[in-house]
Amino acid sequence: MSDQTADSSVALFERHRAELKASKRTMNLIMLAAFLVCLALSVWISQFYPERLASGIPRIFEYFGTIIPDLRWDTLLDGRTEEGRAVPGSITYWYTDFWVYLELIWETILMAITATLLGTAVAFLLSFPAAANLAPNSWIYWVSRRFLEICRGIPEILLALVFVFMIGIGPLAGVIAIAIHSAGALGKLFAEVNENASSRPVEGITAVGGTWVQKMLYGVVPQVTPNFVSYALLRFEVNVRASSIIGFVGAGGIGQELNRVISFYSDDRVLAVLILVVLTVTIIDLLSERLRLGYIGRENFA
Amino acid sequence: MTLATVTAVSDAEIAAIRAQHPGVFDTPGKIVRRWAPWAVAVLYVFWSLWYFDIARFFETSDRVLSLLRAFVVWEDMANWQYANIYRGIAETLAMAFLGTLLGTIGALFVGFMAARNIVTFAPLRQVVRRFLDILRGIDQLVWGLVFVRAVGLGPLAGVLAIFVSDVGTLSKLYSEAIENIDRKQVEGVKSTGAGPLQVIRYGYIPQVLPVFISQSLYFLESNTRSATILGIVGAGGIGMIIIERFRASLYDQVAFVVLNVLILIFAIDWLSKRVRGWAIGAQER
Amino acid sequence: MLKLDNLTRRFGDTAAVDRVNLEIAEGQMVGIIGRSGAGKSTLLRLLNRLTDPSEGQILFGNRDIAQLKGRDLRQWRSDCAMIFQQFNLVGRLDVLTNVLTGRLFDLPAWRALAQIYTPAERAFAVQALDRLTMAHTALQRAETLSGGQQQRVAIARALAQEPKILLADEPIASLDPLNAKIVMDALRTINQQDGITVICNLHTLDTARDYCDRIIGMQAGRVVFDGTPAQLTQGMAREIYGAEADQAFNEAATSTSLASGPRARAKEAV
Repeated sequence: MSDQTADSSVALFERHRAELKASKRTMNLIMLAAFLVCLALSVWISQFYPERLASGIPRIFEYFGTIIPDLRWDTLLDGRTEEGRAVPGSITYWYTDFWVYLELIWETILMAITATLLGTAVAFLLSFPAAANLAPNSWIYWVSRRFLEICRGIPEILLALVFVFMIGIGPLAGVIAIAIHSAGALGKLFAEVNENASSRPVEGITAVGGTWVQKMLYGVVPQVTPNFVSYALLRFEVNVRASSIIGFVGAGGIGQELNRVISFYSDDRVLAVLILVVLTVTIIDLLSERLRLGYIGRENFA
Repeated sequence: MTLATVTAVSDAEIAAIRAQHPGVFDTPGKIVRRWAPWAVAVLYVFWSLWYFDIARFFETSDRVLSLLRAFVVWEDMANWQYANIYRGIAETLAMAFLGTLLGTIGALFVGFMAARNIVTFAPLRQVVRRFLDILRGIDQLVWGLVFVRAVGLGPLAGVLAIFVSDVGTLSKLYSEAIENIDRKQVEGVKSTGAGPLQVIRYGYIPQVLPVFISQSLYFLESNTRSATILGIVGAGGIGMIIIERFRASLYDQVAFVVLNVLILIFAIDWLSKRVRGWAIGAQER
Repeated sequence: MLKLDNLTRRFGDTAAVDRVNLEIAEGQMVGIIGRSGAGKSTLLRLLNRLTDPSEGQILFGNRDIAQLKGRDLRQWRSDCAMIFQQFNLVGRLDVLTNVLTGRLFDLPAWRALAQIYTPAERAFAVQALDRLTMAHTALQRAETLSGGQQQRVAIARALAQEPKILLADEPIASLDPLNAKIVMDALRTINQQDGITVICNLHTLDTARDYCDRIIGMQAGRVVFDGTPAQLTQGMAREIYGAEADQAFNEAATSTSLASGPRARAKEAV
C-alpha cells in the first residue's frame, strides 16, 4: 500500500518534472530561434560578412599604425630651432598646432558652460509646471511635459545639424543644440525631484496667502536646490563630452578640428587631438565630481 | 507686549533691534555676497553669447525660410525612395543588435580580466583597466569616425564603433558585478576539485548572468538610440540617409526621416520601459 | 464676526463636514473637539479655504469667503492665519525668512521674488519672534529646531501676517507636554492681548476645557455640542469621543498635569 503511494508520488513528480522540463525546453528553443533570426537578419542587413570583416580588420590596425607619432628619444624634448622650426621626432613637432587645439578646447568648455546654464535655467522654470503635484492645472502640466520630452528626444547632434544649416558653421549652433537637449533632460529630472518634495512647506505658504510663484519659490525651491545643483553639475560633465563631438557637423569646438584631422589626414595629428580631448574630459569629470561632493557635504552639514 | 502693525514699527525700535540682533539686517557686504553669483552668471551668459555671435541667430535668411517651409510642405512624395529610408532604419536596428552582441561577448572576456577576484596579478589588471578607461574616454561618435576612415563608409564602421565603446563600458560594469559576488558559492565549487574554467562556469556565471543580461538589454536600448546618429559621420544606418538628403538639399525628405527617427526613438523608449517593467514583474513573481 | 451657514464638504460619498451652522464672535477663543476623523481638520481647512467647500457659506462681515478667488482669496488667507500640526515651516530656510513669509501678501511681487525685505519688516519679524522668546534663533535653519520651537516660529509667522483670525489645527498633537503648554499659553495670550479670534482643534478634552471660552464638539462632520466648558458634562464628552473616550481622557490627564490652573497663569505668562 505505502509502496504503491510512494511509487505513484514518484511517478507524479517525474511526470511534472518532465512537463516542466519540456515547457522550459520549448521556451528556450523559441527564444533561441528568435535570437538566431534576429542575428541572421542583422548580419544580412548590415552586410556583416566574414570576408568584409577579414578585409576590414587588418586595415584597422594599419590605420592605428599611421596615427602613432614618430617620436625619437634623442630629440624628444627639443624645442624650436632658431628659425622657429620644430625638430622632427620631438613633442614640439608632434604638437605643432598645440595652441590652436588649446583655444578650441577653451571654446569647447565655454560652449558646455553656456549650454548648461541656459539649459538649467529653462529646465528650472519648466520643472514646476511639469511636476504632477505642483502644476497649476492639467493642461499646463501636459504641455510642459510634452515639450520637455521633445527637447530630450531629439539627439543633440541632429539638432546641431539643423542649426548649423540655419545660422551657419560655428559654436553658436552647438550651444543652442546642447542647451535644448539639456533643458529636456534636466527638466525631467528636476520635475521628478519636485514631485518628491514635501508638500507641507507649500501648504504653509498657501496658508499665508502666497501666489503660485511664491509657493514654488519659498516652499519648493529651498527643498530641491541641492539636488538641482548636483544634477546640473552632472549634466555639465555630459555636456563637455557633447560639445567635444558636436563639431563633427560644424557646430564649433574641438570636435570640428577632430573631424578635420580624422577626415583629411591620417597622421599623428589625429592622436594628438584625441589625447587632448580625452584629457580634457577626464579632468573636467574629476573637477566637477570634487565640486559636487564638496557641495553636497557642505549642504548636509550646514 | 502686544504686536502693532508693521507700519507702526518706529525707527527707534528698529535701532534697538539692530543693536540686539545685528545679523538680522542686510549689510552691503551681505547684499553683494548674495547677488554676486547671479550677476556673474548672467554677465557670463551675455558675454559668451556675444562671443558666440548670437546676432546670427536673428538673421533669418532664405535658407532658413526654405528649411522651415520644407518641414511643413512635402512635395513629390511619390518619388521618395521609401525602401531606401526604411532600409536605413532596419540597418540602424541591425547595427545596434550586432554591436551590442559583440560588445557583450567581448566584455565577458575583458570583464573577467578586470575583476580583482579573478585576476590576482595586479599589473595585468591595471593594464586592462586603463585600456578600458581609454575606450570609454573616447566618444562613440569619434570611434565611428575613426572606423569609417579605417574600413570605409557603411554599417560595418557603425557596428565596430558600438562594439568598441560597449566593451569599454560593459566590461567595467561586468567586472564590478563579478567583484560583488558571494564568495561562498565559489568556494563550494572549488571544494569539489573543479578546474579554474569550471569554477568560472559553475561558481561565477550563475550568479552574474542575470546582471549581465539586464545590463546588455539596457545597452541594446541606448545603442539603438545612438545608432541613429552614428550615420552622421558615415557609419551606416538612418543617420547616413539624413545627411545624404541634407547635402542634396531635399529638406522635406530630411524632415520626414527625422520624424521617423523621433518615432523610432520614442517607440524604443516605450518598448524598453515595457520590457523592463515586465522583467521586474517576472522576477518578483 | 464669522458665520458659517450650512457649510458642507463631501469627499466622494462621505461628508467630512456636514451642514455646519456656527457663529463665532470676534475675540473668542474656540476649541473644537472630537475624535479623529470627526471633520475638525476639514472644518478648519475650509475656513482658510485650503479646502474648497461643496456647499454653504462662510460669512465674514458681509463677504462670502466661500466664493473668493484669486487675489481676494489670498487676502483672506493672509487675514486668517493658520498653524499646523506639523508646523509646515520651510525647513531649509532660516527662521527669520520663515517668519517674513508671513508678510508675502503685502509685498510687491518683485520684492517677494528677490526676497528683499525692509528694515521695518525685519524688525517686525524679530518682534514677533521675541514675543515667543525665539528671537535668538532668528538666523538658524528652521529644520534644526525642536518641534516645540518650530511651532513657536510658526506662531510668529502667523503673527507677522497681522491676522484677524488665527486657526490652529492640532497645534500641540506632535509636542511633549511642556512644549504643548508653552504653545497653548502663547495662543491664549495672543487671543487676550491682541483680541485675535483663535479657533483651535484639540484632541484632548482637558486642554480645551482649560484654555477655551467656548467648546464645539464634532461627530461625523456635524456639530453635536456648542457651549461653555462648564456646560460640557462628562456624559456629553463621552458621547462626543465615543470609543476613543478613555484615550482622550488619559491623554488629557498627562498633558494637563503640567498645565494646572492655566487660566490664571496665562494672563501673567509671556
